[in-house]
Amino acid sequence: MVSLVRAELRKLLGLPTARVGLLLGVLLSPVVVLINAPAARRADLAHSDTGLVELGVGLIGPMILGVVIMSSELTSTGDEAPRARQLTATLIAGPRRMRLLLAKATALILVVAVQASVATAATTGLTQVLHGDRVPVPAFARLAAAVLYWVLLALLAYSITLIVRNGIVPLTFLIVNSTFVSVSYLLTKVTDAAAYLPDIVGAQMFLRESDFPVRIAPVTAGLVMSAWIAAFLVVGALLFRRRDA
Amino acid sequence: MISVERVNKIKGRAQILYDVSFVAQPGRVTGFLGPNGAGKTSTLRVLLGLDRPKSGAALVCGHPYASLKRPLTTVGALLDGSGAHRARSARGHLRWVAASNGLPDSRVDEVLETVGLAGEARKRAGRFSLGMSRRLGLAAALLGDPEVLILDEPVNGLDPAGIRWMRDFLRDRAARGNTVLLSSHLMGELAEIADDVVVIDKGHIVTQGTLAEVVGGHGSLEDAFFALTAGGGPW
Repeated sequence: MVSLVRAELRKLLGLPTARVGLLLGVLLSPVVVLINAPAARRADLAHSDTGLVELGVGLIGPMILGVVIMSSELTSTGDEAPRARQLTATLIAGPRRMRLLLAKATALILVVAVQASVATAATTGLTQVLHGDRVPVPAFARLAAAVLYWVLLALLAYSITLIVRNGIVPLTFLIVNSTFVSVSYLLTKVTDAAAYLPDIVGAQMFLRESDFPVRIAPVTAGLVMSAWIAAFLVVGALLFRRRDA
Repeated sequence: MISVERVNKIKGRAQILYDVSFVAQPGRVTGFLGPNGAGKTSTLRVLLGLDRPKSGAALVCGHPYASLKRPLTTVGALLDGSGAHRARSARGHLRWVAASNGLPDSRVDEVLETVGLAGEARKRAGRFSLGMSRRLGLAAALLGDPEVLILDEPVNGLDPAGIRWMRDFLRDRAARGNTVLLSSHLMGELAEIADDVVVIDKGHIVTQGTLAEVVGGHGSLEDAFFALTAGGGPW
């Protein structure tokens, strides 16, 4: 199992797209804090979520990582053999499919946990430097919850890619949903039940002052989001085990 | 040793393999011959646990492929393409394959040397020619120094020197007691290299035996093949 995880780490970190995802995830949030700081100071808009809200924009990083760890297996390896995919080499090297999926998930969790920790430390640290006493230092539990949120969203991206067997559709949907038009957020305007959608509910693990239609305690929010991800992973794993490679 | 026992496979609504059974013995090169679409690749994919049969069993050294703990140390397999992501270098690809089976990185340079790709180790797989892709795929198959080789159309895309190299290489592996199973639709090539021949057509095994037995009174493997199969096309 350790060998499989090591192989998946090498595979993931060897992909140029994954490196882009890694960098974007680490850099975007601190940059947004930096850009927002003058306006926030002038209008006295800083509050206890400042520095943590900005972590949302960096989510593009774990999403890319979650998608490409699976989609890279499925893209054609060359024009001369359009049906050939890396997945063939992967399953020949590690034919036990559940162990393979577990190894992929473990590698993803490790990479995104490190990425999220660096991004969270950089973003909240920068917030303290720029805003000083106006923004209280977040409790360690809130920071850990933010890291967990990133990891869970990466796993969500991974499981959706596993189910739809395509990288472009989930990546487009997830990025659009988290940046330009949040379908999940718009749904919360229609029904309160949308507050329990995975990306919306998960944010309540660490955000306090944002506009949520239903207040959910952080631990409950974490459990609900984890249950979503577990369900997606189980469906993805069952399909992956049954399908021809 | 490889044994395929009464394998049936359905894809979509069509049955593509019917009670496919044969063995490939250690110390011999077994040629798996058939026209395009006859079921060669499908059989090999079932053998490697990539596709699931409706019924039957395919065993390598007495075990289903999927139950092998470090499969690359028992079986080396080469299917379509190189198996390497376009954006990865040859070395980068082989390094993860080696890691997956607990093999040392030193093996990567050894197999690159063996297949003649040492000078191309940093080149991205997406820029490889067909022949280089086959060599890279073969390099991955050799990483674990396996006792069984399963190769799908291994000479496809190789230049004459590459074909000759492959022939000598596989003969040498068989001489050392390895089991070599290779599929091909090139009869002349197979007649040069195979000890045993299994002929498949439209999902059915039509004959199997030593090369001499299969050729029988037909004069050549090609004549035997066309006599045993429908001819493989409208021409």
